[in-house]
Amino acid sequence: MPTVVTIDPVTRLEGHLRVDVTIDPVDGKPQVVDARVSGTSFRGFETMLVDRAPSEAPHLTQRICGVCSVPHGVAAAMALEKAAQCTIPENARLLRNLVMGANFIQSHILHFYHLSLLDYVGGPGMPPWEPQWNVDRRIGAEDSARFVDHYKAALKAVRQVNEMAAVFAGRQPHSPAFVPGGFTNVPTKAQIDEFRKYCGIVTDFIRSVYAPDVELLASQYPEYGQLGRGYGNLLAFGGFALDAAGTSRFFAAGRTTAGAADVQPVNPEAVTEQVACSWYDNSSTDRRPSDGATQAVCPKEGAYSWLKAPRYEGQPYETGPLARMAIGGLYRKGVSVHDRHRARALEAMKIAEALPKWLDEVKADGPVYTNCATGAEAEAAGLTEAPRGALGHWLKIRGGKIAHYQVVTPTCWNGSPRDDQQKPGPIEKALVGAPVADAKQPIEVLRIVHSFDPCLACAVHVCRPSDPAHVIVL
Amino acid sequence: MQVSRRAFLKYCAVASASLGLGPEELVGLEAALADPAGPSVLWLQGSGCSGCTISFLNYVSPSEPVDAADVLIKSANLVYHPTLSAGAGESVAAAVKAATNYILLVEGGVPTAFGGHACIPWSDGGREVPFQEAVRTLAEKAKNVVCIGTCAAYGGISAMGANPTAVKSVREAIGKDTINVSGCPPHPNWIVETLVQLLQGKTVAVDAQGRPASLFDGRRMCDQCPFHRTGEARSLGVRGQCMEALGCQGEVSPSPCPTTLWNNRVSWCVAAGSPCLGCTQPTFPGTSLLRSRGRGGPRGPGGPGGPRGGQN
Repeated sequence: MPTVVTIDPVTRLEGHLRVDVTIDPVDGKPQVVDARVSGTSFRGFETMLVDRAPSEAPHLTQRICGVCSVPHGVAAAMALEKAAQCTIPENARLLRNLVMGANFIQSHILHFYHLSLLDYVGGPGMPPWEPQWNVDRRIGAEDSARFVDHYKAALKAVRQVNEMAAVFAGRQPHSPAFVPGGFTNVPTKAQIDEFRKYCGIVTDFIRSVYAPDVELLASQYPEYGQLGRGYGNLLAFGGFALDAAGTSRFFAAGRTTAGAADVQPVNPEAVTEQVACSWYDNSSTDRRPSDGATQAVCPKEGAYSWLKAPRYEGQPYETGPLARMAIGGLYRKGVSVHDRHRARALEAMKIAEALPKWLDEVKADGPVYTNCATGAEAEAAGLTEAPRGALGHWLKIRGGKIAHYQVVTPTCWNGSPRDDQQKPGPIEKALVGAPVADAKQPIEVLRIVHSFDPCLACAVHVCRPSDPAHVIVL
Repeated sequence: MQVSRRAFLKYCAVASASLGLGPEELVGLEAALADPAGPSVLWLQGSGCSGCTISFLNYVSPSEPVDAADVLIKSANLVYHPTLSAGAGESVAAAVKAATNYILLVEGGVPTAFGGHACIPWSDGGREVPFQEAVRTLAEKAKNVVCIGTCAAYGGISAMGANPTAVKSVREAIGKDTINVSGCPPHPNWIVETLVQLLQGKTVAVDAQGRPASLFDGRRMCDQCPFHRTGEARSLGVRGQCMEALGCQGEVSPSPCPTTLWNNRVSWCVAAGSPCLGCTQPTFPGTSLLRSRGRGGPRGPGGPGGPRGGQN
């Protein structure tokens, strides 16, 4: 007899998320046989941008997400620079990479310690870390105490990485420094020295605390090296431009299918968003983001989410640090809960190692800005990477104002609902097959969902599912 | 909550000095914090980006509590925070409903379209609770309602343009004045200092827009800005010049950013070569982030006296 379990809210993420799983015994063991993932808030950000001055897009779209504001600023600026055929100064390219690198690192540390760890380890014995589900705790008292200390140390590390970013960016989150045409802050020697000081602190934390903790957790919960695989399709747009045109990138663009070793190129034209199960007008389904629409139809037969379903050549893809590391040939183990955590820690280290090198290239007092006026009529896309995966901004300018804006975020890829072919989204797929020891405390579901680091604040199309016949509502 | 509050009191002495409070006023705080039945804190998130939470986590001070971890462990009994709470599912609704003596912090605007279903913070007994209902219900019993950030305080970015989810400020949604720690995001010290005063059981004096008067004291940002009239920037990409001609909101914004600085005092917006975008203003983001160009030109959307200001 199948049991439908609802977890609402799933906490420890950005925004609002609800998960419905159907649990049924398979070979006598209860496991997830079906899953529906849904954001429970809708912002409609894209329609709010219409009629604004194009140059404001980097400022406004940063407010899509307070955790990964920087990549939104970068994607918007890139799109506008492409529209204006404008090449930014080297210093600006470097400063953007440095600030975005810091932004990735803070997001990854925050994710592991503050958003994920409490699925495995008890927190300090007080609110907001109590009450907590009473689930299998395999980490001994001594290591648990150390993890709690590291939880606090990681808060400090996150704060310090944000300070590092703010040295150049003015402040974090929501820096005003990302503008079409470059960067606003002319770097001083003192700023470069200060940023370098932070690099050392951050690298030490990743090497001596974060990376070993990820391994310790993996060793105590070995089955999560197999669980939560999903489709195994991985996609990256590539991020951190290494040349003025952005053709060479520190993290490469590419995709792999079902765990195959060969990396295929990414053609942005192959990206469409499907809405059969989303609360949008069906006439807008399977469109490219450059022609996409955000026309709400709610209620709508068969729909259960405001999240659209992005697909590449009609197929669902997982995106994120694991995709980037695998596509770059930097990580070759597999696709699972632990592989996602490991790849995230590895990526933090790769970025931390790159920061001092990029810093060496920054010219103190050198130019950071060039005038970049977009024409009255233009269209372009800005594709980059955010901490949680591939990020794209598509815009059209008409009469000198924003006439069309579509954002496809990493969590839209990962957390998408079923598509026009009723194919589940990557997180939905990854949940299927997960054993559930206690249907009243399905911690296994949280561990798998959190491994994707969902960011519903980013998934700008999100809303709620229609009500199935719930048996247990948690 | 059993953890050292002595350290917290030490901090409060420093913080209060900066807020202009004398030692005798700390007696109230000591009593409030020593009382096991003292107020707890609920932090809700509506239509927003979690940026105010991240900003809060960036809190740092030279004296104890030194950072956000210290605040969470040694001072505020934070019963619920969606990004930090360990619990999930219906335990959230239970924890929130069990709270009796609490200060309500609201981050994000209140969407009212789709019958409130554009934002569901939790389910209760299988029923999805709309955010607007949660805020209204919890505000009724709250000792204080504090808006964390411009979206909660005035609608902000979340109510921008076509406002497709009909986002309202908390004040509009509950029909009651709120304390507005505005900013997109607000500075972490503004959040913590306001909370400290409320934990003392004090009334927070506010300006005409509901912002804490100790922080938003009526002085223009320009009056505190080291770059004011230090050569006039005519283009972005220059250092240490006045941004007024580029549309800086400093002439109308009362934000204390030039003195508080940001992120452990490493920098702030204008020091990074940007005009102030006026993110603490009731009208932010208006129809333009910048004021009309040129000194003496017509006032842009960041001007004072916006229609949606709160009072307390």
